[in-house]
Amino acid sequence: MAGSGTAHLRTADDVVLRVENLVMEFPAGRHQVVHAVSDVSFDIRRGETLGIVGESGCGKSTTARAIVQLPAPTSGRVLLDPGTDREAELTALEGEGLRQVRPRLQMIFQDPISSLNPRRRVRDIVAEGLAIWEGESGDEQVRAKVDEVLEAVGIDPTVAANRRPHEFSGGQCQRISIARAAVLKPEILICDEPVSALDVSVQAQILNLLEEMKSRYGLTLVFISHDLSVVRNVSDRVTVMYLGKVCEVGNADAIYSSPAHPYTRVLLASAPEPASTVDESESAIGDEIPSPIHPPSGCRFRTRCPRATDRCATEEPVLQELAEDHFVACHFPS
Amino acid sequence: MAGPLLRVQDLRVGFRTEQGKVRAVDGVSFDLEEGQTIGIVGESGSGKSVTAKALMNLLPSYAQIQGAAHFDGRDVFAMAANREKHFWGVEMTMVFQDPMTSLNPVKKVGEQIAESLRVHLKKGRREALVEAGDLLEQVGIPEPGKRLSQYPHELSGGMRQRVVIAMALACSPRLLIADEPTTALDVTVQKHILDLLDDLRRARGMAMILITHDLGVVRGRADEVMVMYAGHTMEEAPTDTLFAEMRHPYTEALLETIPRIDTPSHTRLVPIPGRPPEVIDVLEGCPFAPRCRYSVTECLTDRPGLTSHGAGHLCACHAPAGTQVGKEARAGNEAAGTTAAGLDMEQFARRVPIADLNRPGGEG
Repeated sequence: MAGSGTAHLRTADDVVLRVENLVMEFPAGRHQVVHAVSDVSFDIRRGETLGIVGESGCGKSTTARAIVQLPAPTSGRVLLDPGTDREAELTALEGEGLRQVRPRLQMIFQDPISSLNPRRRVRDIVAEGLAIWEGESGDEQVRAKVDEVLEAVGIDPTVAANRRPHEFSGGQCQRISIARAAVLKPEILICDEPVSALDVSVQAQILNLLEEMKSRYGLTLVFISHDLSVVRNVSDRVTVMYLGKVCEVGNADAIYSSPAHPYTRVLLASAPEPASTVDESESAIGDEIPSPIHPPSGCRFRTRCPRATDRCATEEPVLQELAEDHFVACHFPS
Repeated sequence: MAGPLLRVQDLRVGFRTEQGKVRAVDGVSFDLEEGQTIGIVGESGSGKSVTAKALMNLLPSYAQIQGAAHFDGRDVFAMAANREKHFWGVEMTMVFQDPMTSLNPVKKVGEQIAESLRVHLKKGRREALVEAGDLLEQVGIPEPGKRLSQYPHELSGGMRQRVVIAMALACSPRLLIADEPTTALDVTVQKHILDLLDDLRRARGMAMILITHDLGVVRGRADEVMVMYAGHTMEEAPTDTLFAEMRHPYTEALLETIPRIDTPSHTRLVPIPGRPPEVIDVLEGCPFAPRCRYSVTECLTDRPGLTSHGAGHLCACHAPAGTQVGKEARAGNEAAGTTAAGLDMEQFARRVPIADLNRPGGEG
């Protein structure tokens, strides 16, 4: 398979996560294959927030899950702390080896209520990671840690710790999910659409909380969302995905102020209040996303792209540097 | 024609539950002229969908509906009591949020569109199917002839919503209620559907109620906007006026709390603390007071009524934003460090890019 390129990978020594040539395929019956993620590479530096944005079916959630090996990707490498003595190649580990690395990566999900076990108390939910690694939730030391992290996310442990998830609102459940993820002091927190299920008035509370938690616990975030404004708000670097491929990568402000890939421009023009950097008429493209079972040859966006030529059907564009820290996979970038 | 197409007066909808009576809609009034669009904006639980369902006669029989609604002079709730089934689906129709659940999965798309033509307008099977094909073409579905004999699962989300819109338009309604028509769809599709609804409305001279949680969706699409919170109308104004001179602190807070696509990364968002109230007990005072930056003691005891703030601009607030009273109330709260409802004012501190605080020498 033609590659999407790795020109955008950085050599800095503070890279905490590097994903190389990640491929995720699922059998679809009758010897057909769903090409959910096809050769995606990216890296994240310590303390950075990487936003992954795209529409449903672009492979953003599959990518997130492949990072934590749930399930393990079809091929490709996922490296934690590459080039240091703590380096771990997740894709090469299994069993106990993988289990030992897991606390360094945590995840929060879209639906805060269904991601908490309704039959357990908040204290036990948050303490579970500690119970596995350090001791039972009744232990003095574990109790103190749980109380501290609950306070950090704005939940009063004296009132809340003995309640069950149904007694909390969606926003509060998401705070508890964040506490559960942060209590093990992970290096990387993967957030898969963390605010999409929340009311707009609560969304800002959670976004601000994530920023606070990031500085307090020294977290590195992978932030996945379909909402362009939310992604811009939280991200240092943004990756735009379409049909299992990376279209554009770069500094968040650069991507939003000078989008180069036609698909990025379409996204920005389609927002309810379109970005000022694109013309609203650019949103005029066909509705139909091609099937990931038979993705288009060459550039996968060519079937909906206003700039597509014959070259796009035969030659797959590779990520190339357009400006400093701004890469695009297109033969005809703006 | 005298009077508006739709006049809703003091609509109240209650549900009796074990915990008490839920006041889902608590005194909502609005007028809608022929061919106009009103946007109803609110969060979940604000009563916007219940308002629409009450008008569509879709609420369960145990819902307690009070107040009046007149469509072209006819009493909507009296028609509901008389089981006049050729009103809904003909003159007033509705499009729902999730196109998959509003389509029948085991019936062909063409039959589903033709059904209302056959039931309401007594058209023949063949004639209704031909018309269904025309409707599919009008809503921008390619190869309409082929689509007629497909099932909903064979279509994409955007196509399904177009089919639902075709169904709603079949009997040429005078009012279309669109309840979060694009919330379940991707952004690139969302814009197409909203533009389609707008074009169809213009072409047919139809009135529309556009219900959404997103202020950005109504901007530029609705003639008038009504902002709802906890079953109440907080503010109502012509769309341009609302965005230019919003008066209600809730409207202002909603707009400030949403991240904008044009602001730099790591801009701190102004939060709205707390969460929407349960609407079970009768609230004394303003329902937004516990979360409001402007609240004064009066807000906790007296429910503010809608007052006029210029042509067609109504707002229910004791200390409206952008007025002298509002400025004084907010300044007073800032000086005291807390609002009348005991809200800590410090959390509203001005927008500071977090990057400046956390990353000395970080990338600029």
